[in-house]
Amino acid sequence: MRSMIEPSKKKIWAYLTPGILIYAFVVFIPILYAIYYSFFDWSGGTHMTFIKFENYSKLIRDMDFWGAIKNNLILVVVCIIGQIGLAFVMSILLNSRQARNKQLHMSIAFFPSTLAAIVIGSVWSLIFDYRHGLLNWALTALGHGDSIQPWLSNPKLSIYFVAIPVIWQFVGYYLIIIMSAYSSIDKSLLEAAEIDGATAIQQSRYITLPIIKPALVVCLVLCIAGNMKIFDHIYVMTGGSANTMVGAMYAYNVSFKMMKMGYGSAVAIGILLVSLVITIASKQLSSLGANND
Amino acid sequence: MTKNTKKLTPGGAILNIVLWLVSIGFLYSVIWLFYSAMKTKTEFNLNSIALPMHPTLDNFKNVFTITNIPLYMGNSFLVTAVAIVGILLISFVMGYFLSRFDFKGKTTIFTVLLIGMLIPQHSLMVPITIIFTKLGLTDHRLTLVLPYIAFQLPIGVYLVESYVRSIPKEMEEAAAIDGASFNYTLFNIILRMTTPVLSTVAIISFFACWNEFIFALILTTKSNLRTLQLGLTAFKGSYSANYQMIMASMFIGILPALILFVFGSKKIMDGMVVGAVKG
Repeated sequence: MRSMIEPSKKKIWAYLTPGILIYAFVVFIPILYAIYYSFFDWSGGTHMTFIKFENYSKLIRDMDFWGAIKNNLILVVVCIIGQIGLAFVMSILLNSRQARNKQLHMSIAFFPSTLAAIVIGSVWSLIFDYRHGLLNWALTALGHGDSIQPWLSNPKLSIYFVAIPVIWQFVGYYLIIIMSAYSSIDKSLLEAAEIDGATAIQQSRYITLPIIKPALVVCLVLCIAGNMKIFDHIYVMTGGSANTMVGAMYAYNVSFKMMKMGYGSAVAIGILLVSLVITIASKQLSSLGANND
Repeated sequence: MTKNTKKLTPGGAILNIVLWLVSIGFLYSVIWLFYSAMKTKTEFNLNSIALPMHPTLDNFKNVFTITNIPLYMGNSFLVTAVAIVGILLISFVMGYFLSRFDFKGKTTIFTVLLIGMLIPQHSLMVPITIIFTKLGLTDHRLTLVLPYIAFQLPIGVYLVESYVRSIPKEMEEAAAIDGASFNYTLFNIILRMTTPVLSTVAIISFFACWNEFIFALILTTKSNLRTLQLGLTAFKGSYSANYQMIMASMFIGILPALILFVFGSKKIMDGMVVGAVKG
Protein backbone atom coordinates (compact mmCIF):
# COMPACT_ATOMS: atom_id res chain seq x y z
CA MET A 1 0.00 0.00 0.00
CA ARG A 2 2.68 2.44 1.12
CA SER A 3 4.66 1.90 -2.09
CA MET A 4 1.64 3.03 -4.07
CA ILE A 5 1.78 6.56 -2.75
CA GLU A 6 5.43 6.78 -1.76
CA PRO A 7 7.30 8.53 -4.58
CA SER A 8 10.88 7.65 -5.45
CA LYS A 9 13.72 9.59 -3.80
CA LYS A 10 14.44 11.19 -7.15
CA LYS A 11 10.88 12.40 -7.42
CA ILE A 12 10.92 13.79 -3.88
CA TRP A 13 14.01 15.86 -4.58
CA ALA A 14 12.62 17.02 -7.90
CA TYR A 15 9.60 18.50 -6.10
CA LEU A 16 11.73 20.06 -3.36
CA THR A 17 14.33 21.59 -5.66
CA PRO A 18 12.63 24.89 -6.65
CA GLY A 19 12.08 25.89 -3.02
CA ILE A 20 15.55 24.82 -1.93
CA LEU A 21 17.14 26.73 -4.80
CA ILE A 22 15.30 29.99 -4.09
CA TYR A 23 15.99 29.69 -0.39
CA ALA A 24 19.66 28.90 -0.89
CA PHE A 25 20.01 31.74 -3.38
CA VAL A 26 18.40 34.42 -1.21
CA VAL A 27 19.13 33.35 2.36
CA PHE A 28 21.65 30.57 2.79
CA ILE A 29 24.38 31.53 0.31
CA PRO A 30 24.13 35.27 1.14
CA ILE A 31 24.63 34.65 4.85
CA LEU A 32 27.81 32.72 4.06
CA TYR A 33 28.87 35.57 1.79
CA ALA A 34 28.20 38.10 4.55
CA ILE A 35 30.59 36.20 6.82
CA TYR A 36 33.14 35.98 3.97
CA TYR A 37 32.93 39.70 3.10
CA SER A 38 33.38 40.65 6.73
CA PHE A 39 37.05 39.60 6.53
CA PHE A 40 37.80 42.04 3.71
CA ASP A 41 38.46 45.71 3.24
CA TRP A 42 36.16 46.34 0.33
CA SER A 43 34.20 49.22 -1.12
CA GLY A 44 32.09 47.14 -3.49
CA GLY A 45 34.42 47.34 -6.49
CA THR A 46 36.78 44.72 -7.91
CA HIS A 47 39.49 45.43 -5.39
CA MET A 48 39.16 43.37 -2.20
CA THR A 49 41.85 43.16 0.48
CA PHE A 50 41.83 40.26 2.92
CA ILE A 51 42.39 41.73 6.38
CA LYS A 52 41.56 38.79 8.64
CA PHE A 53 39.77 39.90 11.80
CA GLU A 54 40.61 43.59 11.47
CA ASN A 55 36.97 44.57 10.80
CA TYR A 56 35.92 42.81 13.97
CA SER A 57 38.62 44.32 16.16
CA LYS A 58 37.57 47.70 14.74
CA LEU A 59 33.94 46.86 15.42
CA ILE A 60 34.62 46.11 19.08
CA ARG A 61 36.17 49.56 19.48
CA ASP A 62 33.56 51.33 17.30
CA MET A 63 31.62 53.62 19.63
CA ASP A 64 29.06 54.41 16.91
CA PHE A 65 28.26 50.72 16.64
CA TRP A 66 27.85 50.28 20.39
CA GLY A 67 25.85 53.50 20.57
CA ALA A 68 23.47 52.06 18.00
CA ILE A 69 23.25 48.76 19.87
CA LYS A 70 22.57 50.73 23.06
CA ASN A 71 19.65 52.44 21.32
CA ASN A 72 18.32 49.04 20.23
CA LEU A 73 18.50 47.94 23.85
CA ILE A 74 16.72 51.09 25.04
CA LEU A 75 13.97 50.34 22.52
CA VAL A 76 13.82 46.72 23.70
CA VAL A 77 13.36 47.77 27.33
CA VAL A 78 10.92 50.61 26.60
CA CYS A 79 8.90 48.38 24.31
CA ILE A 80 8.81 45.44 26.72
CA ILE A 81 7.36 47.77 29.33
CA GLY A 82 5.16 49.66 26.90
CA GLN A 83 3.96 46.89 24.61
CA ILE A 84 3.77 43.80 26.77
CA GLY A 85 2.92 45.81 29.89
CA LEU A 86 0.07 47.72 28.23
CA ALA A 87 -1.13 44.58 26.46
CA PHE A 88 -1.20 42.76 29.78
CA VAL A 89 -3.17 45.55 31.48
CA MET A 90 -5.60 45.67 28.56
CA SER A 91 -6.05 41.91 28.66
CA ILE A 92 -7.05 42.14 32.32
CA LEU A 93 -9.55 44.91 31.54
CA LEU A 94 -10.98 42.99 28.58
CA ASN A 95 -11.35 39.81 30.58
CA SER A 96 -13.48 41.55 33.16
CA ARG A 97 -17.03 40.28 33.14
CA GLN A 98 -18.27 43.80 32.70
CA ALA A 99 -16.34 44.44 29.51
CA ARG A 100 -18.48 44.73 26.38
CA ASN A 101 -17.54 44.54 22.67
CA LYS A 102 -14.42 42.54 23.47
CA GLN A 103 -13.84 41.36 19.90
CA LEU A 104 -14.29 44.87 18.51
CA HIS A 105 -11.77 46.41 20.92
CA MET A 106 -9.30 43.65 20.14
CA SER A 107 -9.67 44.20 16.40
CA ILE A 108 -9.21 47.96 16.74
CA ALA A 109 -6.11 47.53 18.90
CA PHE A 110 -4.70 45.03 16.43
CA PHE A 111 -5.33 47.11 13.32
CA PRO A 112 -2.14 49.27 13.49
CA SER A 113 0.07 46.19 13.39
CA THR A 114 -1.19 45.43 9.87
CA LEU A 115 0.01 48.80 8.60
CA ALA A 116 3.36 49.55 7.02
CA ALA A 117 6.01 50.84 9.41
CA ILE A 118 6.68 53.55 6.82
CA VAL A 119 3.13 54.88 7.13
CA ILE A 120 3.11 54.61 10.93
CA GLY A 121 6.44 56.43 11.11
CA SER A 122 5.27 59.18 8.76
CA VAL A 123 1.98 59.72 10.57
CA TRP A 124 3.73 59.96 13.90
CA SER A 125 6.34 62.37 12.59
CA LEU A 126 3.37 64.53 11.66
CA ILE A 127 1.94 64.08 15.16
CA PHE A 128 5.29 65.16 16.63
CA ASP A 129 5.66 67.92 14.02
CA TYR A 130 6.72 71.25 15.47
CA ARG A 131 4.18 73.47 13.73
CA HIS A 132 1.26 71.20 12.83
CA GLY A 133 1.62 68.29 15.19
CA LEU A 134 -1.10 67.01 17.49
CA LEU A 135 1.29 66.86 20.43
CA ASN A 136 2.30 70.51 20.37
CA TRP A 137 -1.29 71.50 19.71
CA ALA A 138 -2.42 69.55 22.78
CA LEU A 139 0.37 71.02 24.91
CA THR A 140 -0.57 74.54 23.83
CA ALA A 141 -4.25 73.87 24.46
CA LEU A 142 -3.42 72.62 27.94
CA GLY A 143 -1.44 75.78 28.69
CA HIS A 144 2.03 74.29 28.31
CA GLY A 145 2.81 76.27 25.17
CA ASP A 146 6.30 77.05 26.47
CA SER A 147 7.36 73.40 26.44
CA ILE A 148 6.59 72.74 22.79
CA GLN A 149 9.56 71.69 20.69
CA PRO A 150 10.56 69.63 17.64
CA TRP A 151 10.44 66.37 19.58
CA LEU A 152 12.25 64.17 17.11
CA SER A 153 15.26 66.51 16.97
CA ASN A 154 15.93 66.51 20.70
CA PRO A 155 18.98 64.24 21.15
CA LYS A 156 18.08 63.50 24.75
CA LEU A 157 14.46 62.56 24.16
CA SER A 158 14.12 61.48 20.56
CA ILE A 159 14.86 57.78 21.13
CA TYR A 160 11.89 57.63 23.50
CA PHE A 161 9.71 59.51 21.06
CA VAL A 162 10.51 57.15 18.20
CA ALA A 163 9.60 54.31 20.59
CA ILE A 164 6.05 55.65 21.03
CA PRO A 165 4.81 54.76 17.52
CA VAL A 166 6.50 51.37 17.75
CA ILE A 167 4.73 50.68 21.03
CA TRP A 168 1.44 52.03 19.69
CA GLN A 169 1.68 49.88 16.58
CA PHE A 170 2.25 46.53 18.29
CA VAL A 171 0.36 46.66 21.61
CA GLY A 172 -2.63 45.05 19.92
CA TYR A 173 -0.46 42.32 18.49
CA TYR A 174 0.78 41.27 21.91
CA LEU A 175 -2.72 41.71 23.29
CA ILE A 176 -4.05 39.06 20.89
CA ILE A 177 -1.29 36.63 21.83
CA ILE A 178 -2.04 37.09 25.54
CA MET A 179 -5.80 36.94 24.99
CA SER A 180 -5.55 33.65 23.11
CA ALA A 181 -3.61 32.23 26.05
CA TYR A 182 -6.36 33.46 28.37
CA SER A 183 -8.99 31.63 26.38
CA SER A 184 -7.27 28.34 27.20
CA ILE A 185 -7.90 28.89 30.91
CA ASP A 186 -10.62 26.63 32.25
CA LYS A 187 -13.30 29.00 33.53
CA SER A 188 -14.52 26.48 36.10
CA LEU A 189 -11.09 26.62 37.72
CA LEU A 190 -11.52 30.33 38.36
CA GLU A 191 -15.08 29.87 39.57
CA ALA A 192 -13.98 27.16 41.98
CA ALA A 193 -11.23 29.44 43.27
CA GLU A 194 -13.75 32.21 43.70
CA ILE A 195 -16.08 29.95 45.66
CA ASP A 196 -13.14 28.95 47.84
CA GLY A 197 -12.68 32.62 48.59
CA ALA A 198 -9.67 33.49 46.44
CA THR A 199 -9.39 37.21 45.74
CA ALA A 200 -9.00 38.52 42.20
CA ILE A 201 -5.30 39.12 42.84
CA GLN A 202 -4.81 35.61 44.21
CA GLN A 203 -6.64 34.20 41.20
CA SER A 204 -4.40 35.97 38.74
CA ARG A 205 -1.26 35.21 40.73
CA TYR A 206 -1.86 31.48 41.14
CA ILE A 207 -4.09 30.52 38.22
CA THR A 208 -4.02 33.04 35.39
CA LEU A 209 -0.38 34.09 35.43
CA PRO A 210 1.15 30.59 35.37
CA ILE A 211 -1.11 29.65 32.45
CA ILE A 212 -0.40 32.72 30.32
CA LYS A 213 3.31 32.73 31.19
CA PRO A 214 4.38 30.82 28.05
CA ALA A 215 2.51 33.42 25.99
CA LEU A 216 4.32 36.21 27.83
CA VAL A 217 7.65 34.54 27.05
CA VAL A 218 6.68 34.39 23.36
CA CYS A 219 5.86 38.11 23.53
CA LEU A 220 9.19 38.82 25.17
CA VAL A 221 11.17 36.96 22.51
CA LEU A 222 9.19 38.62 19.70
CA CYS A 223 9.68 42.02 21.30
CA ILE A 224 13.45 41.56 21.56
CA ALA A 225 13.77 40.21 18.02
CA GLY A 226 11.57 42.98 16.61
CA ASN A 227 13.45 45.81 18.28
CA MET A 228 16.91 44.43 17.53
CA LYS A 229 16.14 44.54 13.81
CA ILE A 230 14.11 47.76 13.73
CA PHE A 231 14.80 49.87 10.67
CA ASP A 232 11.78 51.26 8.81
CA HIS A 233 10.37 53.37 11.65
CA ILE A 234 13.75 54.96 12.33
CA TYR A 235 14.51 55.47 8.64
CA VAL A 236 11.34 57.43 8.05
CA MET A 237 11.19 59.37 11.34
CA THR A 238 14.76 60.51 11.98
CA GLY A 239 17.06 58.65 9.61
CA GLY A 240 19.17 57.92 12.67
CA SER A 241 19.80 61.56 13.53
CA ALA A 242 19.45 63.08 17.01
CA ASN A 243 20.83 60.03 18.83
CA THR A 244 18.38 57.58 17.33
CA MET A 245 20.85 55.50 15.31
CA VAL A 246 20.07 51.79 15.57
CA GLY A 247 22.04 48.73 14.47
CA ALA A 248 20.29 47.97 11.17
CA MET A 249 20.40 51.64 10.19
CA TYR A 250 24.11 51.79 11.01
CA ALA A 251 24.79 48.66 8.94
CA TYR A 252 22.84 50.26 6.07
CA ASN A 253 24.72 53.56 6.33
CA VAL A 254 28.14 51.95 6.56
CA SER A 255 27.43 49.60 3.64
CA PHE A 256 25.48 51.79 1.25
CA LYS A 257 26.19 55.41 2.22
CA MET A 258 29.88 55.08 3.06
CA MET A 259 30.24 52.12 0.66
CA LYS A 260 32.27 50.10 3.15
CA MET A 261 30.87 46.72 2.17
CA GLY A 262 33.37 44.67 4.15
CA TYR A 263 32.98 46.60 7.36
CA GLY A 264 29.22 46.85 6.82
CA SER A 265 29.04 43.05 6.65
CA ALA A 266 30.99 42.85 9.91
CA VAL A 267 28.49 45.27 11.47
CA ALA A 268 25.59 43.09 10.26
CA ILE A 269 27.21 39.93 11.64
CA GLY A 270 27.90 41.81 14.88
CA ILE A 271 24.22 42.71 15.26
CA LEU A 272 23.27 39.14 14.44
CA LEU A 273 25.54 37.84 17.21
CA VAL A 274 24.39 40.40 19.78
CA SER A 275 20.71 39.68 19.09
CA LEU A 276 21.28 35.92 19.23
CA VAL A 277 23.01 36.25 22.60
CA ILE A 278 20.23 38.43 23.99
CA THR A 279 17.47 36.18 22.66
CA ILE A 280 19.07 33.02 24.04
CA ALA A 281 19.81 34.72 27.37
CA SER A 282 16.20 35.91 27.70
CA LYS A 283 14.89 32.44 26.89
CA GLN A 284 17.21 30.95 29.52
CA LEU A 285 16.20 33.54 32.08
CA SER A 286 12.50 32.98 31.55
CA SER A 287 12.81 29.19 31.73
CA LEU A 288 14.83 29.66 34.92
CA GLY A 289 11.99 31.79 36.27
CA ALA A 290 9.50 29.10 35.28
CA ASN A 291 11.42 26.43 37.19
CA ASN A 292 11.39 28.48 40.35
CA ASP A 293 7.62 28.63 40.39
CA MET B 1 -22.28 36.16 25.26
CA THR B 2 -24.55 35.49 28.22
CA LYS B 3 -22.40 37.91 30.21
CA ASN B 4 -23.61 40.79 28.06
CA THR B 5 -27.12 40.44 29.36
CA LYS B 6 -25.96 41.25 32.89
CA LYS B 7 -26.44 44.82 33.97
CA LEU B 8 -23.45 47.12 34.06
CA THR B 9 -22.29 48.26 37.48
CA PRO B 10 -20.94 51.85 37.78
CA GLY B 11 -17.42 50.40 37.84
CA GLY B 12 -18.27 48.42 34.73
CA ALA B 13 -19.49 51.55 32.99
CA ILE B 14 -16.19 53.31 33.75
CA LEU B 15 -14.31 50.25 32.52
CA ASN B 16 -16.14 50.33 29.21
CA ILE B 17 -15.55 54.06 28.82
CA VAL B 18 -11.82 53.44 29.42
CA LEU B 19 -11.84 50.67 26.80
CA TRP B 20 -13.47 52.97 24.26
CA LEU B 21 -10.98 55.74 24.98
CA VAL B 22 -8.13 53.30 24.41
CA SER B 23 -9.69 52.12 21.15
CA ILE B 24 -10.14 55.69 19.98
CA GLY B 25 -6.47 56.20 20.80
CA PHE B 26 -5.61 53.35 18.47
CA LEU B 27 -7.81 54.69 15.70
CA TYR B 28 -7.33 58.42 16.06
CA SER B 29 -4.19 58.84 14.01
CA VAL B 30 -5.84 57.07 11.09
CA ILE B 31 -8.96 59.18 11.47
CA TRP B 32 -6.82 62.33 11.70
CA LEU B 33 -5.03 61.25 8.54
CA PHE B 34 -8.37 60.83 6.78
CA TYR B 35 -10.02 64.11 7.69
CA SER B 36 -6.82 66.15 7.35
CA ALA B 37 -6.52 64.83 3.82
CA MET B 38 -9.88 66.46 3.08
CA LYS B 39 -8.66 69.93 4.01
CA THR B 40 -7.21 72.62 1.82
CA LYS B 41 -3.66 73.76 2.44
CA THR B 42 -4.75 77.03 4.06
CA GLU B 43 -7.21 75.28 6.31
CA PHE B 44 -4.62 72.75 7.47
CA ASN B 45 -2.02 75.44 8.14
CA LEU B 46 -4.55 77.46 10.09
CA ASN B 47 -5.62 74.60 12.35
CA SER B 48 -4.26 71.10 11.90
CA ILE B 49 -6.62 69.50 14.41
CA ALA B 50 -10.09 70.81 13.62
CA LEU B 51 -12.44 68.92 11.34
CA PRO B 52 -12.50 70.27 7.78
CA MET B 53 -14.96 73.14 7.32
CA HIS B 54 -15.39 72.48 3.63
CA PRO B 55 -14.35 68.85 3.06
CA THR B 56 -12.80 68.37 -0.33
CA LEU B 57 -11.66 65.27 -2.19
CA ASP B 58 -9.21 67.29 -4.30
CA ASN B 59 -6.17 65.98 -2.47
CA PHE B 60 -7.15 62.38 -3.14
CA LYS B 61 -7.89 63.27 -6.75
CA ASN B 62 -4.50 64.97 -7.09
CA VAL B 63 -2.72 61.98 -5.63
CA PHE B 64 -4.27 59.86 -8.37
CA THR B 65 -3.82 62.30 -11.24
CA ILE B 66 -0.58 64.22 -10.71
CA THR B 67 1.56 61.90 -8.57
CA ASN B 68 3.10 58.52 -9.24
CA ILE B 69 1.35 56.87 -6.30
CA PRO B 70 -1.00 54.78 -8.54
CA LEU B 71 2.05 53.49 -10.43
CA TYR B 72 3.80 52.57 -7.17
CA MET B 73 0.66 50.87 -5.95
CA GLY B 74 0.50 48.85 -9.13
CA ASN B 75 4.12 47.81 -8.66
CA SER B 76 3.39 46.74 -5.09
CA PHE B 77 0.31 44.79 -6.17
CA LEU B 78 2.23 42.96 -8.88
CA VAL B 79 5.17 42.03 -6.65
CA THR B 80 2.91 41.02 -3.76
CA ALA B 81 0.58 38.94 -5.93
CA VAL B 82 3.34 37.06 -7.74
CA ALA B 83 5.23 36.52 -4.47
CA ILE B 84 2.12 35.15 -2.74
CA VAL B 85 1.48 32.67 -5.57
CA GLY B 86 5.10 31.55 -5.32
CA ILE B 87 5.05 31.31 -1.54
CA LEU B 88 1.82 29.28 -1.52
CA LEU B 89 2.92 26.87 -4.23
CA ILE B 90 6.39 26.23 -2.84
CA SER B 91 5.36 26.09 0.84
CA PHE B 92 2.58 23.71 -0.09
CA VAL B 93 4.82 21.31 -2.01
CA MET B 94 7.72 21.49 0.46
CA GLY B 95 5.47 21.27 3.50
CA TYR B 96 3.67 18.27 2.04
CA PHE B 97 6.82 16.32 1.18
CA LEU B 98 8.53 17.12 4.47
CA SER B 99 5.44 16.04 6.37
CA ARG B 100 4.59 12.86 4.48
CA PHE B 101 7.81 11.17 3.47
CA ASP B 102 11.02 10.16 5.19
CA PHE B 103 14.21 10.71 3.27
CA LYS B 104 17.83 11.53 3.89
CA GLY B 105 18.43 15.26 4.28
CA LYS B 106 15.02 16.05 5.73
CA THR B 107 16.36 17.23 9.09
CA THR B 108 18.99 19.32 7.31
CA ILE B 109 16.25 21.13 5.38
CA PHE B 110 14.36 21.78 8.61
CA THR B 111 17.48 23.07 10.36
CA VAL B 112 18.41 25.39 7.52
CA LEU B 113 14.87 26.80 7.42
CA LEU B 114 14.99 27.34 11.18
CA ILE B 115 18.31 29.17 10.94
CA GLY B 116 16.77 31.36 8.29
CA MET B 117 14.01 32.35 10.69
CA LEU B 118 16.53 33.38 13.34
CA ILE B 119 18.64 35.56 11.04
CA PRO B 120 17.61 39.22 10.92
CA GLN B 121 16.95 39.91 7.25
CA HIS B 122 19.07 43.05 7.22
CA SER B 123 22.21 40.97 7.79
CA LEU B 124 21.62 39.79 4.21
CA MET B 125 21.49 43.33 2.75
CA VAL B 126 25.05 43.52 1.44
CA PRO B 127 25.43 40.03 -0.06
CA ILE B 128 21.99 40.09 -1.68
CA THR B 129 22.71 43.46 -3.26
CA ILE B 130 26.08 42.22 -4.54
CA ILE B 131 24.71 38.95 -5.90
CA PHE B 132 21.68 40.59 -7.52
CA THR B 133 23.79 43.34 -9.07
CA LYS B 134 26.36 40.88 -10.43
CA LEU B 135 23.64 38.74 -12.01
CA GLY B 136 21.78 41.79 -13.32
CA LEU B 137 18.68 40.99 -11.31
CA THR B 138 18.15 44.43 -9.78
CA ASP B 139 15.74 46.99 -11.19
CA HIS B 140 13.40 44.50 -12.71
CA ARG B 141 9.66 44.58 -12.23
CA LEU B 142 9.84 41.25 -10.39
CA THR B 143 13.20 41.66 -8.62
CA LEU B 144 11.64 41.63 -5.17
CA VAL B 145 9.65 38.46 -5.78
CA LEU B 146 12.62 36.16 -5.10
CA PRO B 147 13.59 37.59 -1.70
CA TYR B 148 9.95 37.90 -0.65
CA ILE B 149 9.30 34.24 -1.47
CA ALA B 150 12.43 33.13 0.36
CA PHE B 151 11.71 35.20 3.47
CA GLN B 152 8.21 33.74 3.86
CA LEU B 153 9.14 30.15 3.03
CA PRO B 154 10.18 28.99 6.52
CA ILE B 155 6.91 30.02 8.15
CA GLY B 156 4.86 28.78 5.19
CA VAL B 157 6.57 25.39 5.14
CA TYR B 158 6.22 24.97 8.90
CA LEU B 159 2.51 25.81 8.88
CA VAL B 160 1.73 23.51 5.93
CA GLU B 161 3.91 20.72 7.34
CA SER B 162 2.06 20.59 10.65
CA TYR B 163 -1.31 20.89 8.94
CA VAL B 164 -0.67 18.01 6.53
CA ARG B 165 0.21 15.80 9.50
CA SER B 166 -3.46 16.08 10.56
CA ILE B 167 -4.68 14.76 7.20
CA PRO B 168 -4.95 10.94 7.25
CA LYS B 169 -2.69 9.07 4.83
CA GLU B 170 -5.72 7.05 3.74
CA MET B 171 -6.71 10.04 1.59
CA GLU B 172 -3.83 9.45 -0.79
CA GLU B 173 -4.20 5.70 -0.63
CA ALA B 174 -7.87 5.85 -1.55
CA ALA B 175 -7.07 8.23 -4.39
CA ALA B 176 -4.36 5.87 -5.63
CA ILE B 177 -6.76 2.93 -5.61
CA ASP B 178 -9.21 4.99 -7.63
CA GLY B 179 -6.45 5.45 -10.15
CA ALA B 180 -5.60 9.09 -9.49
CA SER B 181 -2.10 10.10 -10.49
CA PHE B 182 0.35 11.43 -7.93
CA ASN B 183 0.09 14.98 -9.23
CA TYR B 184 -3.68 14.85 -9.40
CA THR B 185 -3.86 13.73 -5.78
CA LEU B 186 -1.37 16.38 -4.70
CA PHE B 187 -2.68 19.39 -6.62
CA ASN B 188 -6.38 18.61 -6.43
CA ILE B 189 -7.25 16.53 -3.41
CA ILE B 190 -4.57 17.53 -0.91
CA LEU B 191 -4.36 21.14 -2.08
CA ARG B 192 -8.08 21.54 -1.52
CA MET B 193 -7.85 20.04 1.95
CA THR B 194 -5.07 22.42 2.97
CA THR B 195 -6.90 25.61 1.92
CA PRO B 196 -7.43 26.77 5.53
CA VAL B 197 -3.73 26.79 6.31
CA LEU B 198 -2.87 28.15 2.88
CA SER B 199 -5.17 31.10 3.46
CA THR B 200 -3.31 31.77 6.71
CA VAL B 201 0.00 31.69 4.84
CA ALA B 202 -1.47 34.01 2.19
CA ILE B 203 -2.55 36.52 4.84
CA ILE B 204 0.82 36.55 6.59
CA SER B 205 2.56 36.87 3.23
CA PHE B 206 0.33 39.66 2.01
CA PHE B 207 1.13 41.96 4.90
CA ALA B 208 4.81 40.99 4.96
CA CYS B 209 5.27 41.72 1.24
CA TRP B 210 2.97 44.72 0.94
CA ASN B 211 4.66 46.45 3.89
CA GLU B 212 8.25 45.42 3.19
CA PHE B 213 10.67 48.29 2.89
CA ILE B 214 14.37 47.61 3.30
CA PHE B 215 14.90 45.27 0.34
CA ALA B 216 12.71 47.41 -1.86
CA LEU B 217 15.01 50.27 -0.89
CA ILE B 218 18.32 48.58 -1.71
CA LEU B 219 17.26 46.61 -4.81
CA THR B 220 15.33 49.34 -6.63
CA THR B 221 17.08 52.36 -8.09
CA LYS B 222 14.75 53.23 -10.97
CA SER B 223 12.00 55.52 -9.75
CA ASN B 224 9.32 53.95 -11.98
CA LEU B 225 9.87 50.57 -10.28
CA ARG B 226 9.36 51.82 -6.73
CA THR B 227 6.96 49.96 -4.51
CA LEU B 228 4.28 51.87 -2.63
CA GLN B 229 6.26 52.09 0.63
CA LEU B 230 9.30 53.35 -1.22
CA GLY B 231 7.18 55.79 -3.21
CA LEU B 232 5.52 57.16 -0.09
CA THR B 233 8.90 57.81 1.50
CA ALA B 234 10.21 59.59 -1.58
CA PHE B 235 6.92 61.46 -1.88
CA LYS B 236 7.21 62.69 1.69
CA GLY B 237 10.55 64.24 0.79
CA SER B 238 9.40 66.01 -2.36
CA TYR B 239 6.08 67.30 -1.02
CA SER B 240 7.39 68.20 2.42
CA ALA B 241 5.55 71.54 2.45
CA ASN B 242 2.28 70.02 1.35
CA TYR B 243 1.02 68.10 4.36
CA GLN B 244 -2.49 67.36 3.10
CA MET B 245 -1.10 65.77 -0.05
CA ILE B 246 1.21 63.58 2.01
CA MET B 247 -1.66 62.63 4.27
CA ALA B 248 -3.96 61.86 1.34
CA SER B 249 -1.32 59.66 -0.26
CA MET B 250 -0.70 57.81 2.98
CA PHE B 251 -4.38 57.25 3.52
CA ILE B 252 -4.65 55.79 0.03
CA GLY B 253 -1.58 53.73 0.89
CA ILE B 254 -3.22 52.11 3.90
CA LEU B 255 -6.58 51.62 2.18
CA PRO B 256 -5.89 48.07 0.89
CA ALA B 257 -4.89 46.89 4.35
CA LEU B 258 -7.86 48.71 5.88
CA ILE B 259 -10.37 47.14 3.48
CA LEU B 260 -8.91 43.67 3.99
CA PHE B 261 -9.00 44.16 7.71
CA VAL B 262 -12.60 45.33 7.82
CA PHE B 263 -13.70 42.19 5.99
CA GLY B 264 -11.52 39.63 7.65
CA SER B 265 -10.17 40.94 10.92
CA LYS B 266 -10.70 37.69 12.82
CA LYS B 267 -8.95 35.56 10.22
CA ILE B 268 -6.13 38.09 9.86
CA MET B 269 -5.58 38.32 13.61
CA ASP B 270 -5.54 34.55 14.04
CA GLY B 271 -3.25 34.11 11.06
CA MET B 272 -0.70 36.72 11.99
CA VAL B 273 -0.55 35.58 15.59
CA VAL B 274 -0.23 31.90 14.63
CA GLY B 275 2.56 32.88 12.27
CA ALA B 276 4.43 34.73 14.98
CA VAL B 277 3.95 32.21 17.74
CA LYS B 278 4.96 29.25 15.59
CA GLY B 279 7.84 31.24 14.22
